[in-house]
Amino acid sequence: MSENHVVARTEQPAELVRQVPVTAPAVDILENESEILLHADLPGVRKDDIAIHVDNGTMTLSGTRRVQTTGAASWRELGDVEFRRTFAVPQSIDVDKVHAELKDGVLRLHLPKSESAKPRQIEIAAG
Amino acid sequence: MMTRWHDIQNILGAMDLFRTQMNSLFTDFDRAYSSGRGWGGPDVYPRTNLNDTGDNLELIAEIPGVGREELNVKIQGNYLEISGSRTTDAPEGYTVHRTERPATTFSRSFTLPYEVDAAKVTATLKDGLLTMTLPKSEAAKPRQISIQ
Repeated sequence: MSENHVVARTEQPAELVRQVPVTAPAVDILENESEILLHADLPGVRKDDIAIHVDNGTMTLSGTRRVQTTGAASWRELGDVEFRRTFAVPQSIDVDKVHAELKDGVLRLHLPKSESAKPRQIEIAAG
Repeated sequence: MMTRWHDIQNILGAMDLFRTQMNSLFTDFDRAYSSGRGWGGPDVYPRTNLNDTGDNLELIAEIPGVGREELNVKIQGNYLEISGSRTTDAPEGYTVHRTERPATTFSRSFTLPYEVDAAKVTATLKDGLLTMTLPKSEAAKPRQISIQ
């Protein structure tokens, strides 16, 4: 039965239409008291070709890369690709303050926690 | 007795569910970029394209997160070696939830189809892609033959 699962998977219409293969980029996820930090490998993706959507507790990261090809190919191991991955993000993220930088093909995405979600020291009043 | 039987069915059902989950895990895992896709070769790093533009060979290698200083390229005749290391870029004071991009060292060597002029090779590193232009040595260049 389990084998059937693999065999029975047919191509969805969306996959047939899509020209560029989609793969999941490798990511690191880190967290400290004030933010969640996500590092993603997006080699060859330009800044303008990256889209990040945060909506209702999920975040979709997508970046498309086009590899310039000139002349005759001797071998080819990398090509046009869309890096896409969806993450669940806690509601405590302050969506307005999400920011990102791109360097050497690595995207560094900062997801700051909202004030109410940060750890807090509670003062105990003397009775 | 009937309830006992039902319990066994329950366990089997749970095992089936587990098996399905495990199977889909592998399918998901296959989709991860690091394990390569149809157009990628076997597990090689870094992945490269080589193009022949007549006078030059052009090599593109995919090395995200590696700076100029951490990269070494060696050329001798038609032998090319790319090696380097990637240091972890995790800042201090963070808890790690997931690491798919560990610090590594890598080295890959190629036998180019032609001898190249090592002195005229240019290399640029942009957005995690290394692009090298390798001019063919004079002997290997295409030549127009005039017919007598």
